[in-house]
Amino acid sequence: MTHYEKSSRFTAADKVALRFCELMALDPGRIDARFHDALRRHYSDEEIVELGAFIGFNIGYHTFFGTLGFYPMFSPDGRLVSQEESARIYGSTPSSLAGQPARA
Amino acid sequence: MPLVEPLEAGAIRDPELTALIGRGMALGVPDAAFPGVLARVPGYANALLRALLVSHAEGHVDHRLKEIIRVQLARIAGDPYFAGLRSVRARQLGLGEETIDAGSGRFEDDARFTAAEKWALRYARDMYLNPEIVDAAFYAEGKRHYSEAEIMELGAFIAFHYGMHVFMRAMGAHPREGV
Repeated sequence: MTHYEKSSRFTAADKVALRFCELMALDPGRIDARFHDALRRHYSDEEIVELGAFIGFNIGYHTFFGTLGFYPMFSPDGRLVSQEESARIYGSTPSSLAGQPARA
Repeated sequence: MPLVEPLEAGAIRDPELTALIGRGMALGVPDAAFPGVLARVPGYANALLRALLVSHAEGHVDHRLKEIIRVQLARIAGDPYFAGLRSVRARQLGLGEETIDAGSGRFEDDARFTAAEKWALRYARDMYLNPEIVDAAFYAEGKRHYSEAEIMELGAFIAFHYGMHVFMRAMGAHPREGV
């Protein structure tokens, strides 16, 4: 999430998609013609719509579910756990972009 | 210029999607642009358009309140497309532009809104601007005005529409006629 632009484990296409997500959540005013061109170098119109709708849906719902105080039902090793145990495992404050409104 | 141009109506042949588009056009939200963009991914288009329509036009919460919230959220997201659309049904029910604007302003001090409506307007505004204050105490206050089912209806409506506003802003979409 924080160093993907310098990481060698992601392709150039992956990095543009991750940047798309980051900008949609935090800085949509920077999704300009230049960024559109960068997306189009790696993705078709169909894939851009698929990515954009998927990201938008998740931006909306993750914040909503965050306010409800839900935690994953299963531990990372697949055990069904209580909400209290899940909160201990995953932490009460997830590493997220929540609370950072879109900039104009 | 939009990032992705909407497909023209003549290029959309799925009868279910065509019917959903007609329903949206009759309501006024969305117009042909949103489904035209989504139609580039047929597996998404029907599901997302149906969810948009159901969450806005069905359920137990007053459609006029949802329309005020929808515009408030579009303005928060900086999305000129959805901010420029208006529900025909809400207008027929008496909702005017002045009340829509009031819902995006200092509604806490506005006598035209009930305590329940003010809570719902705060729920939408603070969900994305101040999510840390939408906590257990905030929901407890909401339960004095709404059933749990109504709160989930509102929450899901807010989450879905905000997400689609963010999406359409990213697509660079604008309404055909601004409001």
